[in-house]
Amino acid sequence: MAGTIIGQGITIEGELTSDEEVVIAGTVRGKLSADGPVTVDAGAVVEADIGASTLSIGGSVTGNVNASERVDLLGGARLVGDVKAARLTIADGASFKGNVDMDV
Amino acid sequence: MARGPAAERSHPSETSESASVLGRGARVRGRVGGEGDLRVEGSIEGDVALSGELSIEEGGSVAGNVGASTVLIGGALTGDVAATGAVVIRASAKVAGNMSGAEVSLEEGASFSGRIEAEFDLPAELAGRQGR
Repeated sequence: MAGTIIGQGITIEGELTSDEEVVIAGTVRGKLSADGPVTVDAGAVVEADIGASTLSIGGSVTGNVNASERVDLLGGARLVGDVKAARLTIADGASFKGNVDMDV
Repeated sequence: MARGPAAERSHPSETSESASVLGRGARVRGRVGGEGDLRVEGSIEGDVALSGELSIEEGGSVAGNVGASTVLIGGALTGDVAATGAVVIRASAKVAGNMSGAEVSLEEGASFSGRIEAEFDLPAELAGRQGR
């Protein structure tokens, strides 16, 4: 079970940090940084840079994302921002605008 | 293989509006607001304005002003509370601030410093007798 779940109706304006898993179904504006997996559910809106171990995006993210392991953009995801991650997948239907650095 | 986030949690669409949790290892610096309930096991430094219920678990903390329908405090709260419904201060709570709600209860063992204001209408029978 996720350590932190921010539901659909909830908005956080500021910085959210966690040492465990985070699931965002609502809105975050500011900064999001987790030591564990971060999931941005379909319908969620994140206007923030994101740091995570793994990042799974099904909703909308505007900001740079940095994952120590991997970033997955699901169909329906929208990412405007740069990606820094060792592994990246972009599903059919995802929208993405930004630079990718896989630390090659 | 990309995971489907919804598949791993039970009924996310039912619970997403009413089962938000700020985990023990999580911290928010900033404002939290919106529709739904929130359970705080971690910490919030900033104001909270919810349409639903705010519950501060033992070990959790909020430093800021709180507005919600119901406020259940089992952890630490520094700030004022304005609830449309009940404010329940549990035995494990440490609260410094002014509490205002339709009813306010303070359990034995709680640490509390501040003012309590419970606004309610006396039922007609009592109101008549006490001349309020």
